[in-house]
Amino acid sequence: MSKLRDRAEREIGPRVIVAASTITAPARAVATARRATGRSGRLELYFGFDDPASAFAVIDLEQRLQGRKVIFDLLPVVERGIKDDPALERKRIYGVTDGRRLGRRIGLTLSRSEPIDPQQTAFLADWVAAAPRGAALTRFCAAACRRLWFESDGPIEAERYEELWRECFGSAPVADEAAVRANEEQMASRGPYETPAASIGGRWFFAQDRSAQIADWLDELGWTVKR
Amino acid sequence: MSAPRVDYFYSFRSPYSYLSGPRGFALADDFEIELHFRGVIPMMMRGESVPVAKRLHTMRDVKREADRLGMPFGRIHDPLGDGATRCLAVSEYAIDQGRAREFVLAAGLGIWGEATDPATDDGLRRICDAAGLGWDGCKAALSNQAIADRVEANTNELVDIGHWGVPVFVYEGEQFWGQDRIDDLALVLSDAGLARR
Repeated sequence: MSKLRDRAEREIGPRVIVAASTITAPARAVATARRATGRSGRLELYFGFDDPASAFAVIDLEQRLQGRKVIFDLLPVVERGIKDDPALERKRIYGVTDGRRLGRRIGLTLSRSEPIDPQQTAFLADWVAAAPRGAALTRFCAAACRRLWFESDGPIEAERYEELWRECFGSAPVADEAAVRANEEQMASRGPYETPAASIGGRWFFAQDRSAQIADWLDELGWTVKR
Repeated sequence: MSAPRVDYFYSFRSPYSYLSGPRGFALADDFEIELHFRGVIPMMMRGESVPVAKRLHTMRDVKREADRLGMPFGRIHDPLGDGATRCLAVSEYAIDQGRAREFVLAAGLGIWGEATDPATDDGLRRICDAAGLGWDGCKAALSNQAIADRVEANTNELVDIGHWGVPVFVYEGEQFWGQDRIDDLALVLSDAGLARR
């Protein structure tokens, strides 16, 4: 490798990436324009019902977005992660241990001791991906995440979640598996490889570890809490 | 009776390890524990791939976290290869000299905040000087097979406990992965009654 190329890879490239990440003016200008035209901000969250970190993020962000004029765009996925990841199973097992710590941060106790197979909760993703965004959907997702990870153990019964859906929407759920696949493709093409991944104003965050930073970024963009 | 042991697995090529450094070592100030620094060979030198998306996200995310923590980040020299290997060797020597903390923090700052190249003698020597380590001893460590074996053993142990990334802290078999979990470990150590009065 030439010296110049080596330096570009080891020093210049990383420096440019870091420096570019500190430029906030375009995102702030877009947010200002949205407010000026009466539109809301938007927080997109790619999440998996089978993932305790996602459950934490959905519940936590629902709280943190209250009072802000920001649409919580919940985008469920089933298949995700680094392709051919040799640590996939270990990560799922570790995720349960870690979920216990995350729950503790918001005063919840994890009720499961084993990972959930993603296919067992795929029906929830199919329902949510088909539903219109809004308060009812956010309420359902937060309640379903609580029930899945903090209020139940053992098999996952679709009937119980259908009751919850009816409580939130007043009608039966409709499934759209293709919409989940579209979310997965969109997530992969946009960069994030794991859930929960939040996007606001062009920035990505791993939502389970960056709740406070997400709130700070929303403030910086002008999507502040209005009481 | 000896104090409970906490193992601290760390890679000089991991910017999240760098972020964990000051708070990781401070655990031994705040709690009655024996903190064992365990330097490991970077993932990419162990044949594992890191997707471009992950590398890009890491740089951006670490910058935000570094700013939050008040740590310099951005003048980088990626130490993949000889730079990482040489830091690992000297870190083992630094452990023997009782200066692991000083060396690891100085190396992290050099690599991630000052673009110091530890693959060169000039770069590594600057780090060693900052850590208060004599250059002759550090240089000898670079070709010491027993030290290389210790690094290999650390790396194998990380794999054996079933973990994939760094930094990782292990206390009584429980793993805490990531610089974001130091507070959780501190909570567990507090619950165990290990806080220093």
